[in-house]
Amino acid sequence: MKILIIDDEEDIRYVCGSSLELIGGVDVFEADGGHQGINLAASEKPDAILLDMIMPDMDGAATITALKKNPETASIPVIFLTTRTLSLDFARMKSLGAAGWIVKPFDPMTITDQIKEIINK
Amino acid sequence: MQVELKIKHKGLILVAVPLLFELVFLAVLSGLLRQADYKTWQEMHSKTVVYESSALSRLFHDAGIAMGGYALTKSPLFRERFDSIVSSIPREFKHLQKLVGRNSSQKGSLKRLETYTNSGLHLLSTARDAIEIGGEGVSRVRSLYSEMKGVSKNISTELDNLTAESRKIEEDGPNARKQSDQMVRVFLAIGVLFNIGLAFVLSYFFSNGITKRLFILTDNANRLARAEQLSDPIKGTDEIAHLDAVFHNMADALAEASRKERAIVENAADVICSIDADNKFTKISPACKKLWGYEPSELIGTRYLNLVISDDVEETAIATRALRKGQHTASFETRTYRKDRSIVTVLWSAFWSPTENSMFCVAHDITERKLIEEALKESERRVRSIIENTLVSLIVIDRFGMIELVNPQTEKSFGYPAEAVLDQNIGILFPQFMSAEDNFIEELFAQASGRIADLEMMRADGELFPVEFSLSQLETNEGTRFIANILDVSERQEFEKLKREFVSTVSHELRTPLTSIRGSLTLLNTGMLGNLNEKGERMVSIAERNTIRLINLINDILDVERLASGRVEMQFDNTEVSSIIERSVESVRSFADQHSVKLEVGDLRPLTRVYADGDRIIQVVINLLSNAVKFSPKDSTVTLNIKEETEWVELQVIDRGRGIPEKYKALVFERFQQVEVSDAKRKGGTGLGLAICKGIIEQHKGSIGVESEEGKGSTFWFRLPKAPQGEAVMA
Repeated sequence: MKILIIDDEEDIRYVCGSSLELIGGVDVFEADGGHQGINLAASEKPDAILLDMIMPDMDGAATITALKKNPETASIPVIFLTTRTLSLDFARMKSLGAAGWIVKPFDPMTITDQIKEIINK
Repeated sequence: MQVELKIKHKGLILVAVPLLFELVFLAVLSGLLRQADYKTWQEMHSKTVVYESSALSRLFHDAGIAMGGYALTKSPLFRERFDSIVSSIPREFKHLQKLVGRNSSQKGSLKRLETYTNSGLHLLSTARDAIEIGGEGVSRVRSLYSEMKGVSKNISTELDNLTAESRKIEEDGPNARKQSDQMVRVFLAIGVLFNIGLAFVLSYFFSNGITKRLFILTDNANRLARAEQLSDPIKGTDEIAHLDAVFHNMADALAEASRKERAIVENAADVICSIDADNKFTKISPACKKLWGYEPSELIGTRYLNLVISDDVEETAIATRALRKGQHTASFETRTYRKDRSIVTVLWSAFWSPTENSMFCVAHDITERKLIEEALKESERRVRSIIENTLVSLIVIDRFGMIELVNPQTEKSFGYPAEAVLDQNIGILFPQFMSAEDNFIEELFAQASGRIADLEMMRADGELFPVEFSLSQLETNEGTRFIANILDVSERQEFEKLKREFVSTVSHELRTPLTSIRGSLTLLNTGMLGNLNEKGERMVSIAERNTIRLINLINDILDVERLASGRVEMQFDNTEVSSIIERSVESVRSFADQHSVKLEVGDLRPLTRVYADGDRIIQVVINLLSNAVKFSPKDSTVTLNIKEETEWVELQVIDRGRGIPEKYKALVFERFQQVEVSDAKRKGGTGLGLAICKGIIEQHKGSIGVESEEGKGSTFWFRLPKAPQGEAVMA
């Protein structure tokens, strides 16, 4: 299982990646922003993408829009990894085509299961 | 038996009785006179009869003499004389017969006289023939003359018989006339005397029956006018008695009215009084005791201005003078002293009677009314001040939206002077308003009547700004009006936006580093990154636990803030209670196991549903169960019961913990409230859990509460409205 993490925060990428690799046993690819993430998604074809909402230059909304526009990446489930917890935010994520969302701070022990649950829904 | 007659009947008697008497008197008098006339006529008639009888007798006598002369002389003169007399005898007899023919008693005499007359005439005729023959005839004449004497004697006898009555009448005539005259005179005298007597009797009758009664009646009328006791009612049924009865009724009615008036005056709550030209009380009702504390006797004879406080005396005196100068009626207010020197405000309603030279007044205590009026004025001042100083724009409009009134804040908010918007349609303050003819105003009323509508309005310079707009109905003397309450929420919205952004930023900025910390600590704690020594592991565990606590605190603060601001969007649906309970219990089970507390669920009807946001209610149940577990002694049981009623479902979480002291029961649902300050440290938790539960339940239009007995445990419960039947179910 391959998961792409797109987040501008290096610490988050590291902790999240470590959790997924160590606890979940998945292959992790990291991108520090939207542009890099789109390219990696197209090249690596991950099973899921964990996408931060608030990022400089290209935010989560723009990134998912671009991913969904590209036929090569359109079918990859995108899961927002977000600090936003308002219903309004979740509704927006859904409308952008997100498969689900995981609220920060996540539980490293269960995050892999959460991703799998969302993908398999 | 006394006959009671009406005046008209008495009048009739007064006229009819003398008239009847006069008629009878005249009739009798007329009879008497006629009788006298008859007697006179009878006397004259008798004289005629006697005269005519004498004439017939004389004719036979003359015929005898003429026959003798003719027999002796053969002279034609005697013969003619004889023939003439003989020829007049039948005529004379007939005349006599006519005179006495009507008297039946004389008919026999008349018959016999006729026979004797005819015999006489025959003898005379025979004698004439004998004389004509001569010779022996003369001797025959002598015998005939002798026969003639006999006949003549018979005739004389019969004539005497015939005229005997007439002669008697004739003889009695003067006496009879005298008698008759005397009778008439006597009768006239009696009649005059009777008439005078009758006049006296009738006069007495009327005097007694009418004049006296009229006098009583007049007296009663005068007594009535003087309001004195009337004489006893006049007996009878005539008009006077009737009129007198009317006077008595009037007197009774007046007495009754007077009694009522007196009762009203004596029992009136207001003081009723009369004041003379010297401003002194002449009469005053007992209510003065209540109004001023004085007995009537204390006030009579005193000047009423003595009661008036000095500041009001001049004004009162002016009002009184105006009243006397021709105003006649007036109302004026004065403040007066009571006996205890407290002040009572009185409204005087006064009437000036020039004829009685007195002022009649009603004094009404208006102290309370004045206080109410003052309070109303104060209230009005206050309301006006509020209206003028409120930060809410208030616009009064009619049902067509035409502006009738605006407050100063409206001018400030919209940038229009009041006169620019008065009589304009309120639509001019909205960007989408085109004209009064479209249905904008209708929609505005539908949208904002009795509730707050979030709208956008337009200032004079065209700037748009958000408002909370509501219309409330106002009933006025001029009809129904509406008050538009307009609150400019642009600043609030700006603040809300900033707050949201702040919360969001803080949330993001806290969560991001916490994510790294928590993840790192958890991974460290797993040992997958290498082994730590015992102290190191403990330190990492402490750090992880407290990081989680901090995360929970942030989550709770965000929840509380959102619930308080109403920004939590609930996903309401028909949700099975069993599902909520199963998921909640499942979530808490391991926590309960850690605390060696048994979870027990009461009987549950599988189809019971509530209209709720399932996740949020699960959050509430988990919170209550976690609290119950935390505060339960080891090896005790926490019970989850369900109580179902027609309209609602109640969930009860029952623990056997230490219970909640009475004074904390009301506080446990407030933010950051825990029964003991150390609870946060010993039991964990933020002190926000129950506040969040309360917020969630209230968003569901439910209720939440606790029953507890210190030392025995607590029962936390909440009620939710049941879902309408037949709706789809969300598990």
